[in-house]
Amino acid sequence: MPRHASRRAILGGALTVSIAAALAGSALAQGAGDPIRKIVIITDTQGAMPQAYQAGQLIAQEWRKLGLDVEARPMARQAQTDLVWFNRDKWDTTMWRMVGRPERSDPDEMTFNLFHSSTAPRGFNFVGYNSPDYDKVAEQQRQTLDPTARQALIKQAQEIVNRDAPYAFLLHPNTLQAFNQNVFDPASIVVQKGVGIRNFWTFIGAAPKGAQKAMIINSGTALQAIHPLYIAGAPDSWMNELIWDRLVRIGPDGLPRPWAAESFKFVDDKTVDIVIRGDMKFHDGKPVTIDDVIFSYEAPLKTDKSPMFKPFVTDIDRIEKTGDRSLRMHLKRANAAFATTALGRVFIVPRHVWEPHLKSLEGKPDTLEAIRDPANVGSGPFKQVRARLNEEIVIERHAEHWAAPKVDRVVLRVIPNAEAVVGMLRSGEINLLSEYGGDPDVLDKLAKDNAAIKLTQVTDVGIEFLAFNNRRPPFDDVAFRNALSAAIDRNVIVQAAWNGYAVRSVSHVSPAIEFWHARDVKAPPTGLDVAKSILDKAGYKVEGGKLRYPAGKKEALQPPG
Amino acid sequence: MSYVLRRLAHSLFVLWAVVTILFLMFRLMPGNPLAAYINEQLNEEDQRQIMAQFGLDRPLYQQYAIYLWNLLQGNLGMSFFRREPVWDVIVSALPNTLILTTTGLLVAYLFGVLAGAWLATKRGTLAEGVIVPAALATRAAPEFWIGMILLTLFAFTLGWFPSGGANSAGAAYASEWDRIFSIDFARHLFLPALTLALYLQGLPLLLMRSTMLEILHDEFITMARIKGLSPWRITLRHAARNALLPVVTAFALGLGATLGGNVVVETVFSWPGLGRLLVGAVAQSDYPLAQGAFFLISLVLISLNLLVDLIYGWLDPRVSHD
Repeated sequence: MPRHASRRAILGGALTVSIAAALAGSALAQGAGDPIRKIVIITDTQGAMPQAYQAGQLIAQEWRKLGLDVEARPMARQAQTDLVWFNRDKWDTTMWRMVGRPERSDPDEMTFNLFHSSTAPRGFNFVGYNSPDYDKVAEQQRQTLDPTARQALIKQAQEIVNRDAPYAFLLHPNTLQAFNQNVFDPASIVVQKGVGIRNFWTFIGAAPKGAQKAMIINSGTALQAIHPLYIAGAPDSWMNELIWDRLVRIGPDGLPRPWAAESFKFVDDKTVDIVIRGDMKFHDGKPVTIDDVIFSYEAPLKTDKSPMFKPFVTDIDRIEKTGDRSLRMHLKRANAAFATTALGRVFIVPRHVWEPHLKSLEGKPDTLEAIRDPANVGSGPFKQVRARLNEEIVIERHAEHWAAPKVDRVVLRVIPNAEAVVGMLRSGEINLLSEYGGDPDVLDKLAKDNAAIKLTQVTDVGIEFLAFNNRRPPFDDVAFRNALSAAIDRNVIVQAAWNGYAVRSVSHVSPAIEFWHARDVKAPPTGLDVAKSILDKAGYKVEGGKLRYPAGKKEALQPPG
Repeated sequence: MSYVLRRLAHSLFVLWAVVTILFLMFRLMPGNPLAAYINEQLNEEDQRQIMAQFGLDRPLYQQYAIYLWNLLQGNLGMSFFRREPVWDVIVSALPNTLILTTTGLLVAYLFGVLAGAWLATKRGTLAEGVIVPAALATRAAPEFWIGMILLTLFAFTLGWFPSGGANSAGAAYASEWDRIFSIDFARHLFLPALTLALYLQGLPLLLMRSTMLEILHDEFITMARIKGLSPWRITLRHAARNALLPVVTAFALGLGATLGGNVVVETVFSWPGLGRLLVGAVAQSDYPLAQGAFFLISLVLISLNLLVDLIYGWLDPRVSHD
């Protein structure tokens, strides 16, 4: 008899469960909202960026364990950019990266542009993160000239971002480079924080040991333009910054230091006094005057003929010549990063070459980028010999420069085959490996087998991350973002996708820039259990194996098509 | 004569169709050239200005009309990213491409025709059993794989040839001709041209062999044998000359395709040619450069096709257009 009764009870129980399950989808069910739609993670294609592709697959695997239906969808770079950048409300999550550049050694760009709400509609805040707290801190750090006070604000910004998880920060890649120490004195090769050995200081400081006086470096992609007013690809900028000088350059420590400016001084937070060196000459022999410097800043400032450089001068109100070698810049607003983002960006161009071009463009829609100076006259430590953009760029030392380089020439070879680059490094066809996209272990082995090859590794200023579309539910919920971020196993991604050549990331400020990176901002706890408990507390429930919104919340969106 | 005119009109129609498809294809592809300009400080106004500079703010039909009109005047436009005339950009890469591809093609056809003719006389021998599968295998093997094997062996391991590029780092020459005829250039050309030749030889070899096999059974060959001519004389003077016709067609089309370069070989050997330029232009949505390069390739292909059609009657009097 008792057996009978218990069987009936079990049957009854099962019936109740199945009815509940059947009703769960309707509004009658208590305690849970609609099931969450399929989530799409956009990744790079395997061919274009195998690491990010693999990371996307690994993340999808973890999220499925939370009861989500997840698709990792590889997209060609163009299509990905088109969707993420120009259709801001039409995607869920995407793998994305900020690459390391010397000027990103100042945290302003990553702090302000990535997350300030003003850049959400069209600018770099493509995730649509909107936090008044954060905005205030981002604005304050920009106006705080005292480094220690600013450091505290940058730390606060990292804490807020860490708390709100607009991105799931994954890692900072390590940059692998190498050089031939039989050709160059290793002591003369400078390692720049967050950038590595291919930097301005190495180009001018590298000391040849023997007969090979040329530094031969590689680029995986062709160049677009050697041009002082055109911002193109990375290898273009390596050459441009050697041919044209700047008032300020970013030092190996990541901090701005006077260069063509003998000194720069903030008189108050909106006034900067600059004195230029008196011993500078252009490659055509003419002296560099204060008028050349003023022209270089005023061309983008006062005309619309240099649109690419305009963003660097937007803080300047006007420039006043105060002497034969001095000028004063009046700023519209205080900007703590001004030395890096303006003085460290604009190239000094010869007025006698560019002013006639500027005049010839008056009343026409064309801009200075379309104009070529075949000789590419600058005043930098190297001068152009020839530029075959698809093949190689040759520049030679400008002997009259006050900081003349020790090598005779720098030759930049365009070598798209990453495996061939390793062979070339071994055979001496290149002697400084400036970038490498191949298998890190192959390079490691080469250095172990070959005493001449010295391998270097630095952590990048850049970040790899998974961006959440903060505009779209459920990613508009901080708890949901935090849970999904917690579910990601970053150690596996670093080891499996990046072969261990990366460090975990906790914020937008890389440990490569020591002064600004807040060491005590720790990664929030991770793991599936942590993720599940955050979701549970926020009201997300798993029913029938599917994760659902908190009670009363409807699914109003479709997965991206 | 009316045939020639009809054929010409036909070719012009094909060219117009290609031009139109090219125009639409790049504009309908996902992505736009602005993606390459993504910059943290590029605001809406700057973006609008760039689109206006490229002429991409106009309606499609206007862009099309401007494009056709410029093309008729021989103006291929300005590259969006190089900011130079498309013609100049293409011409800078053209010599390297033409030399690499025509060298590869000539070697492949010279070898293929001779080996194919010879093999036809070796029906059923060990030579046939070895060479035909070998030719097929190299034809089927991916180019990058052949290229990497040659590089690993002859460049990385033995050091006989350089690992990439068209000239040694920093080498300077008085003129383009001096550069092309330098030993340095020839050393750089050797491996990529060999890779290309290995890849291309299969077609002429097999084509020549099978046509020869047919012809060797023809009555006029039997007649020649009866006359007591030497086997070599029969193979080369009588059979091979007749077997060449389909090979000529294949060669002409191959020649047309050489203009586009060869992306795979150019990438493996870091050869600065048109193929890589083209791929870059497509990836960046540099419409004028991509359109201009594909237009030139189509122009050459269509012209060579026309030419082959027209001279066929002369090569083989049995073919008549009337």
